[in-house]
Amino acid sequence: MDTFTVDIAIVGAGGAGLRAAIAVAESHPALTVALISKVYPMRSHTVAAEGGAAAVTLGQDTLEDHFHDTVAGGDWLCEQDVVEYFVGHAREELVQLEHWGCPWSRRPDGRANVRAFGGMKTERTWFAADRTGFHMLHTLFQTSIRYPSIRRFDEHFCVDLIVEGGRVQGVLVIEIASGDFRVIQAKAVIIATGGAGRVFRENTNGGIVTGDGMALAYRHGVPLRDMEFVQYHPTCMPGTGLLFTEACRGEGGFLLNRAGYRYLQDYGLGPAEPTPRNKAMELGPRDRLSQAYWHERQRGRTISAPHGEVVHLDLRHLGEARLRERLPQIYELALRYLGIDPSREPIPVLPAVHYTMGGIMADGTTASPLPGLYSAGECSSIGIHGANRLGSNSLTELLVFGKVAGLEAARYVNATSHGDAASVGALAEASAARALELLTRPRATERIATLRREMAKSMEDGCGIYRTAATLQSTCNRLAELKQRYQRVGLDDHSRPWNTEWLLAIELGYLLDVAQAMAHSALERRESRGCHQRLDGFEQRDDAGFLRHSLAFYRADDVPRIDYGPVKITRSQPGTRVYGAATEAARAHG
Amino acid sequence: MSVVANRPRPYVRSMRGWWRRDPFFMRYMLREATAVGVLIYAIVLTVGVVRLAQGEAAWNGWLAALRSPWSVLLHLALLLAMMFHALTWFEIMPKTLPALLIGGRRVAAATITRGGWTATLVASGALFALAWWWGS
Amino acid sequence: MAEQRTVEIQVLRYHPQHDEQPAWQSYKIPFSDDTSVLQGLLYIKDEIDGTLSFRWSCRMAICGSCGMMINGKPQLSCHTFLRDLLPGPVRIEALAHFPVERDLIVSAGGFVGKLESIKPYLLPREPRALAAGEYLQTPEELERYEQFSACINCMLCYAACPEFGLNADFVGPGVLALLHRYNADSRDGGRAERMPVLNAEEGVWTCMAVGYCSEVCPKRVDPAHAVNQNKATSAADYFLRFLGPKRGPL
Repeated sequence: MDTFTVDIAIVGAGGAGLRAAIAVAESHPALTVALISKVYPMRSHTVAAEGGAAAVTLGQDTLEDHFHDTVAGGDWLCEQDVVEYFVGHAREELVQLEHWGCPWSRRPDGRANVRAFGGMKTERTWFAADRTGFHMLHTLFQTSIRYPSIRRFDEHFCVDLIVEGGRVQGVLVIEIASGDFRVIQAKAVIIATGGAGRVFRENTNGGIVTGDGMALAYRHGVPLRDMEFVQYHPTCMPGTGLLFTEACRGEGGFLLNRAGYRYLQDYGLGPAEPTPRNKAMELGPRDRLSQAYWHERQRGRTISAPHGEVVHLDLRHLGEARLRERLPQIYELALRYLGIDPSREPIPVLPAVHYTMGGIMADGTTASPLPGLYSAGECSSIGIHGANRLGSNSLTELLVFGKVAGLEAARYVNATSHGDAASVGALAEASAARALELLTRPRATERIATLRREMAKSMEDGCGIYRTAATLQSTCNRLAELKQRYQRVGLDDHSRPWNTEWLLAIELGYLLDVAQAMAHSALERRESRGCHQRLDGFEQRDDAGFLRHSLAFYRADDVPRIDYGPVKITRSQPGTRVYGAATEAARAHG
Repeated sequence: MSVVANRPRPYVRSMRGWWRRDPFFMRYMLREATAVGVLIYAIVLTVGVVRLAQGEAAWNGWLAALRSPWSVLLHLALLLAMMFHALTWFEIMPKTLPALLIGGRRVAAATITRGGWTATLVASGALFALAWWWGS
Repeated sequence: MAEQRTVEIQVLRYHPQHDEQPAWQSYKIPFSDDTSVLQGLLYIKDEIDGTLSFRWSCRMAICGSCGMMINGKPQLSCHTFLRDLLPGPVRIEALAHFPVERDLIVSAGGFVGKLESIKPYLLPREPRALAAGEYLQTPEELERYEQFSACINCMLCYAACPEFGLNADFVGPGVLALLHRYNADSRDGGRAERMPVLNAEEGVWTCMAVGYCSEVCPKRVDPAHAVNQNKATSAADYFLRFLGPKRGPL
């Protein structure tokens, strides 16, 4: 087995992974970095993010406001000291990216433009047309090319962490083109592998968003925190789940039910005004909007369509010129996929899973409880999103905490030495054998796609926008059954070079583990908060009982153990989340 | 820099007959082939200049040759080729120019192309009229 | 109940370990009005033949993974729909002009290597401290290069370019468009450093203005425009270099 020895291994080359790599290369050019990704970096799912990245910019905006919006948006499940760090370092990161060439959209005077976004009191979302993630990712990837200390392992699939002597010692990867295993020995590992939305049936995510890094850390004893909090994005394409950016609403789009009525005003987000008002109506937070859809569906006020019940995203009043200028990508999407011209017809939309708030437990420095293991981006739970993420906070998160992860890992490795190469090698061989067993399994009775479909359907049914003990338990049972059946999953493809079916099987294993962490965490949280909403007597938020983080611990051949950890509260005491008309009243009362 | 992978041997497909695989390529080859027409016409004209230098008899012989049926057919073919040449020339011309801005707005490629065709038609028409008037 | 419609998909298969050369394989799959070619391939892989290998991810024409030849034309499979290819059969093969590693997967390392070679990052004209905030760039200045920055690296333009097909060293439309994107960015001062790539035989001068690259580009980047307007730049650079090294950027 080929072995490579580096100082820092970064798994995942999306926004967070690239930012971490650049941070190391800039600050410590003598350190070697292995940047490992199962796809070429520009395919990472950061590329699909559309709306923007938030940072306090305008004169009338304050860090206090961004802080409060974020903490309230997260329904007070946030680590407030981390949120404070986050909002304080947001703008410098966006400026840094601009200095690296990011083509932010501009105001006439040449400064970066900002727009309104859900749950934000003031306009603070920087954007690059309606493909912000695309531009951010490409800027980061192209900038990373300047640094010779970053060695990329493109199309290398990570199958395991190597942990020995109580710390991380590297990773085992498959070079996809050949199917050969390679060991990358490293003093520190940063996981930046993204979320796990593919656990659910209808989602905005690309095929690669399968919770790889989460599952790997989890299997090595690192708790996954707040996994029950899964965000539904309210405006997605029926059937595919593809995203229609929140910016559609930031630009003034309306959400209408079958009567052509702006129904959000019935859910505490009104009154309805003709132009967008921050934190009201269509600019309310995503969890509230998705929940409103669910209620409208229960009341039979949604529109029946081939791929399910939909509502209408109405952009007609924006006019073609503004749509083509501000929202060119979604214009194309509607036209090409649905044959709908948004300047003439409303777009059918429904909520789909979009973001995983939970993830690998990370402290404010991105360190996990496992020495040498760091995480950044959607795969990590560093504590800024709490129970519900505000749109445009996560793109900024990639930069702020990608950088922190890089710097912290660099600090750590400068005080550490490599582990024993022989024991690393032996552990790698054992991991490789486990991965190979899937490939060479002689008698198999289950198909990957069958198990994946059943998992996704069960998660959508039992662990969706609204949950009950009964639906959750049913899902937990189903997942346990699927994990059993996974032992008998078989492949058509037993070769090594470019065996993508083998990788799909490994990913299914990751998905099942992550799904279990989500479902069991949800079952145990007997309250409603943010994106975790229950209908079985636990409809209210219960700060006394549950103002704490869920921690899911992996147990081999068993369901996860759910424990709890404290929430760091500093300046913002848990209150009521205030949107719609209530924001005016709150402002009036100071 | 990307670590070079131990790739299994990839298969390289042949480029033989590439231009017949897509109508776009065939049209491109036809466009390029009109350059041959330009060459032929240049040779015809050069011969004409040489005949002119050789005196009136030679010159009249050349003119007579031009009026022969084969020559007329050739010239018709050359005319079609030149028209196609001009058509495709202006199609590709906008690509060779930097973005043109008039009054702050970008001039569309199609506008440049149509402008070129219009100018060609007008100039050709003017030349034809001139030749007609001269000859009569 | 309406009968389930089916369509025939033919895929050019190739396995490096047991095939001397590629061969066509046929499948019959169900489909509906909004089924993309990618969804068709995923159906084949999930339900019929797990050995079929292809790249894909985002499903929305932004990641650039799923480029392939569909009925002889370079397209992204995620936003090409079976409804437009009826009655079939739909013929799918790996992106043209690239070596095939397996089935619909081509060697992409050459493209990435070329991308890395053009200094595809901002070389600021003037330094600016982070504390001073962002460089100023008007919407008009942004417009000068924004279109060329929309390239998703899908390589369809390379599959459309016969010059690249005949000469794999050609830097190619996509990478040259990215080069132009940086040269045209008002904040950038690195044009002189990128000239050697432009000026090389494998730079703009291999381009014969076929123009098919711009036709197939799913993001309307117009690489043909980027490459061909730089022929003038390259020529001027060649002739004016005698005016001395201190001559500024054009």
